[in-house]
Order: sequence, then C-alpha cells, then structure tokens
Amino acid sequence: MRLLSLAARNLLRNRRRTAISLTALVVGVGAMVGLRGFINGQQRVILENFVYGQVGAVQVHKAGYLANVQGSPLTLDMADSEALRERIAAVEGVARVSPRIAFGGMLSLPDAEDATDEEGAGKTSFLQLTAFEPELEKEVAPQRLKWLGEGAHLSSADGAELLLNADLAKSLASGVMGAEVPQERWPALLAADRDGALNGEAVRITGTLVSATPGDRRLGYVPLGTAQRLLRMEGRVTEYALAVKRLEDAPRVRDAVRVALGPEYEVHTWDEVVPFVAQLLGHQDFLFEMLTSVFLLTVLLGIVNVMLMSVLERVREIGTMLAVGMRRRQVVALFLLEGAVLGLVGGALGALVGGAVTLWLGQRGILLPAPGAAADSIIRPYVSVVYLVRAVGLATVGASLAALWPAYRAARLRPVEALAHS
Amino acid sequence: MRAFTLALMTLLVAGPALAGEPTAEELLAKYDSVMGPSTFESEVEMTAFREDGSSRTYVMKMLRGENDKFRIWFKGPASVKGQEMLRVGDNMWVYLPNLKRATRVANRDSFQGGDFNNADVMRVNYTQDYAAKVVASDVPDTWALELKAKSAETAYDAIKLWLRKKDGQPVRGEYYGTSGQMLRSADFKDYEELDKGYTRPTKVVMRNELVKARRSELVIKKMKLGVEAPAQRFTQSNLGR
Repeated sequence: MRLLSLAARNLLRNRRRTAISLTALVVGVGAMVGLRGFINGQQRVILENFVYGQVGAVQVHKAGYLANVQGSPLTLDMADSEALRERIAAVEGVARVSPRIAFGGMLSLPDAEDATDEEGAGKTSFLQLTAFEPELEKEVAPQRLKWLGEGAHLSSADGAELLLNADLAKSLASGVMGAEVPQERWPALLAADRDGALNGEAVRITGTLVSATPGDRRLGYVPLGTAQRLLRMEGRVTEYALAVKRLEDAPRVRDAVRVALGPEYEVHTWDEVVPFVAQLLGHQDFLFEMLTSVFLLTVLLGIVNVMLMSVLERVREIGTMLAVGMRRRQVVALFLLEGAVLGLVGGALGALVGGAVTLWLGQRGILLPAPGAAADSIIRPYVSVVYLVRAVGLATVGASLAALWPAYRAARLRPVEALAHS
Repeated sequence: MRAFTLALMTLLVAGPALAGEPTAEELLAKYDSVMGPSTFESEVEMTAFREDGSSRTYVMKMLRGENDKFRIWFKGPASVKGQEMLRVGDNMWVYLPNLKRATRVANRDSFQGGDFNNADVMRVNYTQDYAAKVVASDVPDTWALELKAKSAETAYDAIKLWLRKKDGQPVRGEYYGTSGQMLRSADFKDYEELDKGYTRPTKVVMRNELVKARRSELVIKKMKLGVEAPAQRFTQSNLGR
C-alpha cells in the first residue's frame, strides 16, 4: 500500500511526462473502444438484415433439404400442421414459429392495354420467392417490414398479393397496383408445381421492397396460401423459421428442437444457413483484433521508453532506496505499480472517452450508404460494459508489462555504483 | 449416247459438290428441315425424370403453321390438361385454364418443369437464331457445328451439334449458357420415316448437365407434314377454345 502511494506520487513528480503517456493511452484505448463500437453497430446491421430480415434465428427443414437446395427443394417438403408447429413452439427458448415455402417462379405481365406492337408487350422475369403468413413472419423476421418501399404489406395468409423488389418492378415496367385494378391487368405468377407441372396464379402487386442487402434483386414475397395453391402444395411447407428469445441461445435451441423432432427433420442456426455471413463477421473480428493489437503495442512501446527514462533519471534515488534496505523485488514492484497506475488511469479515461463518443454516435446513428443496396443502413455503435472493463484491464496489464524491463534494469543496479552516479 | 452424255455432264457438274464438304449453312438448314419442318401436326410425349426417381409423362398435340407459328395442346396429366402454348414469331404465350388468359413466357423458361426449355420444343429455327461454323468432329462419321447466338433472346448462348455424314440427321447436341458452362446435352435416337420421305430421330434425350440425375425424353408418336392450319388458330383469342 505504501508502494502504491509512492508509485502514484512518483508519477506526479514529472507531470508533463505522465500527461503525455496518459494522452497516448487515452487515445489508444479510446480509439479501440470507439472502433469496437462502430464494428458492433455494423455487425448488428448485418445480423438484423440476415437474421431478422431473411433467415430467422433457427430453421427447420425436411432432412437433406439444405444439401439439395439447388435441385428441386419442393419435393423435400413437410406436412404442415398445428400439432407440429406446437411441438416446435413448446421447445424452451423458441419465441415464435413461422411456416414458409421458398421457391422459384416467373412473373409475367400482361401486354399494355392499347398494345399494338412490341413496345407494349408484357415483360417476364424469373424471380426467387418466399411465401409466409404475414402475421407470423413479422415476429420471426420483423426487419422485412422495414423494407417496404411503396404500397402496403401482404394483408392476409392467402390473398392474391405480391410484394416485389422495387428494382425488378421497375425493370418489368410495373409498380404498385391499387385494389381497383381489374384482375386481367394483374401479373401472372407462374411456377412448376411440386410434380414439375406448370401452374399459374394472378397476383396483385401490393407493395415494393427496397434492397437492404447487395445481391440478386429478383425477389418477391407472397402469402403462404397463395404459394400453396400455385405449387399444389396445400397443407405443406418447405421450412419453419423460428424466432428465439435470445440470439446467443440459438445453438442451444437448435439442439433442443433437434431432440424434440427426431431424425426426420434437420435443424440449423442462422449461421449454418448463411455461413458466409458468420464468416464475414469472423473475419471482421479478426481484423479488428489485429488492428487494436498493433495500436496498443505502439502505445505500450512509448510507455516502455518513458519508464526507461524515468529509471535512468532516478538512478541515485534507487541506489538510496536499496542502501536503506529496500528489497530488489520491492523496487521491481514499485516500477510495475507506476506502470499499472498509469495504465489504469489512462485506460479508464480512454474507456470513458471512447464509451461516451460511442454512446453519442449510438444515439445519433451514422447513416451509411451501403454499397450495392438501395436501402441505406443506419449504424448505431455500441459497446458492452464488459468490453469497457476488459479494455481498462488490458491497458493496466499492458502498461505494467511495459514497465517490466525498466523495473528489472532498476532492480539490477548496485547501490554503491548507483549512489556514485551523477 | 445422249443418255450417257447427260449422265456424264451431271456427274461433272454435281461431282465436285458431292465430293466437297457441305457448308455450315447447308448443314444448319438440313437440321432445321429435319427437326422443324415448316408445317406439321404431331402427337408427342415428354417424360421428365427427376433426381428423386420420380417421372412424369406429358401428352401433347402440336401444330405448326406457315410463317413460324406454333401451337401445343396438353392432353395429360390431369394437372396440365387444358393448358395450351402458342408461339407467333418471337412471342410465346402459355394459356392456363384457371387464369383463362394467355400469359407471356420466355424462350429460356423451362418447358413444363422438364429439361427442355420452351425454345427447344417450340422454336427450332437455328438458321435464324444462330451463326454456325463447321469444326473438326470428335465423333466418327459426323460433321460438327458450332453455333453462336445472334441475339440475347435466344435459348442458349452457344450450341454444339453433331450431324451424321451419310444423311445429315442429328446425333448429339450440347447447349451452353452465358458463362460457357454446359447446361444441357441431347442425344438423338430412333430414326424413323414418319411421313413419306421424311425421316427424323423420334426420340430426344435431354440431360440436365447442372443436376445430373435429371433428364427429359421427347418422343414423337405421329407426325404429318404439310398440313393446312387456318391462321386464326394461332391467335391469343383462340386459346382455350
């Protein structure tokens, strides 16, 4: 305890030097916290887009579905029943179950009303469709609601409605249609049914979707019942998407659902369904760790230098301490403590500054035009308290380690020579 | 003597043509005349085999009229009964009984969920759609042709065809997409004289090269050339009647 107060007082002896070291630490730790906050915010946007916008936290399919998704996934479907839904919903941690069908189809627009030549010919396009019950889906993938460009969302579980990607709608020279548009003017949704035979349904474009993620724009949503009629799959679905109470619990919920359903079904967490997203996040974390390591190392090397100077300046003093009976390891401890106090104070101030900036940016939000996506994302940086504590801890330990060599140098001094040092 | 002179002259005139190699244009014209005569009526079955071991047979009647017009009536199975398809020049429609209207479809769309696309079945006019050149053949006794699409609207970006040297009948085809990837391959089989002086392969096996376990077989049951088809049968308003 006496050593600690001695260390603190030693630091105060050369205020300017200590201030410079502290500034370096504050900038280093502050930048580390701020950057982490930004990356957290960005990763949350990515997660929201994929997990809460498309995939859902956990998915249930017929066994073998994901491996064959390129082939003809409609034949790997499941009988949908209240009982099955309840069996899944009863699993601890499952918040909501949303039945879906994912399928490919073709949208064909009728010719313009006064069409006499090629100009007015209706356009056609292939597209990838997701069918769901709007009431259930909004609990599992609430982010979908935010992607509405114009018009309205699907209103029922079996209406003749279509939500179409805005860019695709534009390229098809079409757009949102009011309820007054007669059925002959609606586009036809064509698809091969479960047996491969062609079928079609007329659907009204009730709304358009903005693109939140880069990639294919040929996307649309239809009510589940409509897809079941089109695909001749009444009472059948290709997937259940589950919302979980806490996203971190997804792997545990997956295992529990697996046990509850048996080998006839396969259960995956979101990062198994879209592994590239999890990989992307992993790469980002790795890069961040590298960057902050280099950053901190630079700051700490500065501290090594400062401490070394401090030792060299205080050779006579150290000699006196050793001469009056101070033990060598107490000398080591003194210098280590000086480093630790420096690290603790600098780290705490840095965490405070970084945390405050992150909090402020988090409230304000950073508007980021996402490349390749039509919908801008707002990044809201945040850091956890645990991360802040860890940052302070890291600075304290780091600064102590930086003091290790100078402390060793100090402890190795011979008292007689040190006293004679001028 | 006169007969001999005539024979000799014929030989002298025709000889070089017989001995010379046919041009790409001649071979392609031959392919078109075999696979898509200008007018005909036929009864056709297509069976789609899927990777799960299931298969499905579609029964249809086809009619081709003057000026590149084409119509198909589906007779079975029950799920497609009453469906019709129509092509007039570059435009193609499908008529679905539950929609009660003609809906446009594209060349590249799959024909009834099988491995043929709409153009494979309804638009056999390679001379118009593709530019051909003769290349060295790796199959004995055949000519090989390489076809490049003339526009982006065609069913494929490139096609490779093998035709028998002895009579110009097709043996094999390979069909490529934009990236140069082989999408499908076809084997032509069971050559038969379906109408007087008209021989063609009556079976085409189209393999899906992307999902290898999938294939579709098109079998021509009956075919009659030179039929009279009134123009109004090739109008949108006539569909469903």
